[in-house]
Amino acid sequence: MYAQAFFVAVFGLAAIGFGVVVFRTSSMVRSALALLFSQTAVGCMFLAMQTEFLGVLQIMMMATEMSIMAIFMVMFMMDPGGLGGMEMTHQKRFSISAGVVAGGAAIAVALLADWGPVTVEAPDAEMQTRALGIELLGRSMLIFETAGITILTAMIAATAVAIPVYTLSGNGGTETKETSE
Amino acid sequence: MTLILILALVTGAILFGVGVYGALSQTNLVMIMMGVELILAGALVNLVAFWRFLHPESYSGQMFALVVMTVMAVEMAVGFGVAIARFRARGSVEMEEAGDLKG
Repeated sequence: MYAQAFFVAVFGLAAIGFGVVVFRTSSMVRSALALLFSQTAVGCMFLAMQTEFLGVLQIMMMATEMSIMAIFMVMFMMDPGGLGGMEMTHQKRFSISAGVVAGGAAIAVALLADWGPVTVEAPDAEMQTRALGIELLGRSMLIFETAGITILTAMIAATAVAIPVYTLSGNGGTETKETSE
Repeated sequence: MTLILILALVTGAILFGVGVYGALSQTNLVMIMMGVELILAGALVNLVAFWRFLHPESYSGQMFALVVMTVMAVEMAVGFGVAIARFRARGSVEMEEAGDLKG
């Protein structure tokens, strides 16, 4: 139990530390990598809490997501390396206050609430995966299917938003690219 | 065991607070999305801790965690779509310059 508490605490601290680094570094690529490490530490926390399937899923998903995010950072940022020392924050005092109040309130609830009896034994990994599969294809099938359709819709919507708009001009029906400026 | 539950909940709460700070303080769209990712990660940690330590017999808890992961993926996909459209239209994804959402 103490080993489990130790690893949950270590990975939790790593997740928080890298989460803070995301907004502290001036290099955007480093921000994306820090977020990747933070999310990986969250996945490792799940593994330490004996939630193997979700832990591995979290690490795999976030590794892909954050790698894509790093590429987008390099594409879109005016100063992706952070060498120019650009200021990219606003309403700092309000943001810090909001973060402290939100986090403090959640910590207060975590510490003060009566969570009732805590279960010591977790189902083993094979049992968890099997039971989750039965849950996904049984009672929660509608939710699972809705999640799948939502991802498909988001992919189509994101592609539709991102592709340039082409209009047929009156001059011989040739295609011209519509630009806003 | 309550100690581990409390550790996980406090970690989730701090991640949530850091995410709120990031989402509110950053001017760049991709950085705002990073803040939202941290908020969702905080929620995810709480959900998994609740399932593991309070109701490990009910797998609806893990299902809930999967839904949050879906939301994270959807947020990234739509956010990057908007970022590309915005960059193509205005040449920047700085939200200070976005008075409205018209492309």
